[in-house]
Amino acid sequence: MDPIQPPVENYANPKTCFFHVLFKAGALAFYILSTLFFNSFVIIFVVTVLLAALDFWVVKNVSGRILVGLRWWNEINDLGESVWKFESLDQESLARMNKKDSWLFWWTLYLAAAAWIVLGIFSLIRIEPDYCLIVGVCLTLGIANIVGFTKCRKDAKKQFQQFATQTIASRVSSTIQSAFSVV
Amino acid sequence: MSHVSDTIPLHASSQSDIDEIENLINTSIQSSSSTVLPARPPSPPRIPVSASPFIQSNLPPLQPKPQSTIQKPPSIVPSAPLPPLPPSSGNSAGGSISGTGFGSPPNTLTEPVWDTVKRDLSRIVSNLKLVVFPNPYREDPGKALRDWDLWGPFFFIVFLGLALSWSASVKKSEVFAVAFALLAAGAIILTLNVLLLGGHIIFFQSLSLLGYCLFPLVIGALVCMLKDNVIIKVIVVSVALAWSSWAAYPFMSSAVNPRRKALALYPVFLMYVSVGFLIIAID
Repeated sequence: MDPIQPPVENYANPKTCFFHVLFKAGALAFYILSTLFFNSFVIIFVVTVLLAALDFWVVKNVSGRILVGLRWWNEINDLGESVWKFESLDQESLARMNKKDSWLFWWTLYLAAAAWIVLGIFSLIRIEPDYCLIVGVCLTLGIANIVGFTKCRKDAKKQFQQFATQTIASRVSSTIQSAFSVV
Repeated sequence: MSHVSDTIPLHASSQSDIDEIENLINTSIQSSSSTVLPARPPSPPRIPVSASPFIQSNLPPLQPKPQSTIQKPPSIVPSAPLPPLPPSSGNSAGGSISGTGFGSPPNTLTEPVWDTVKRDLSRIVSNLKLVVFPNPYREDPGKALRDWDLWGPFFFIVFLGLALSWSASVKKSEVFAVAFALLAAGAIILTLNVLLLGGHIIFFQSLSLLGYCLFPLVIGALVCMLKDNVIIKVIVVSVALAWSSWAAYPFMSSAVNPRRKALALYPVFLMYVSVGFLIIAID
């Protein structure tokens, strides 16, 4: 069903990867399996949403930094405007990032969001608004992280291109200058 | 005006660091060797997700310079309050200034996840104190909730829902779902209301504020959970309601045109009243 086989080689940060996956999988698993054990909707809601919130925090604060070297946040500047900041490691550090780590990071983000969408469709079909609420909250958190990190990555690429063109331009001009000074 | 927040001593340690600097400067002047503090720009004002005060660690070392004239020290001291630090714990903001990547070495990334947690928790507490309790920043609401976060509101809403659900003897799940949806959707709609009235408020800041103002109602719900007398419940809920409205008033009213203050404040009051009725009516 899933054609992508996860690689079995070494991860650079196994503990971080583990936690990154743990809360996502925990929230999904609890949501799916809980009806077998619990009758109370409240417990299902609270535990699932709590796990999803923990996952959001872990991805944003810990695994984003460690696994892919990206970070995003929101600031309110002195004019009272809200500014979204995106930050990334510089190019050498980014190139040194473990490929398996970043593969895991991105794919689990997308897969978790896709799983929540599927579960949401199920609960819509069964017309259970309570469970739609849970799915809505978890989906919001997952999509927020996806959007944040994608923007961060695009911003990093743009900055790298700018930096590269700047470097090339400055190199060219300094080469020309030195050529002229020799002459 | 940005320096106003920068020069407020954030820790007791920052004050002692300034004293340290002054002592060092005085002793160095006395020994008649001029020392110049390296002039560095202040570090960026915010740490990302867990925006919080810098933890003052090592000061930049004084570098004696072979100069005959004695430099004037006092101009250096005002810039001392936030000396740029080697990125200390957790997710520090650093690095991007110098362009050498994060600047946070691997050991601070791996070890203090606990520090990040503590910083987030302290931010929640400080936001709560700013919003709900009397403090000097209430006159300038935009500055007060500058470091908004949504964790506090999240916990309060869940807690309020749990308290209501526990007090209910029947239909516990519906009560919880209704309470949660009412509060979450209510906060979003109230923020949209302010924005549509032409007010100047930031979406997440307002969500955060409305969530934190639920704190008195959470306390009220807890008390009502313990006592079942209707009269006591009414009194407690009224007090909690008044407190919540008092907490929310300056932020909401300063965001809109003075002629539209009532239009912005009335729905907030209405939402808190409906939550109050939920608390009273549950048995």
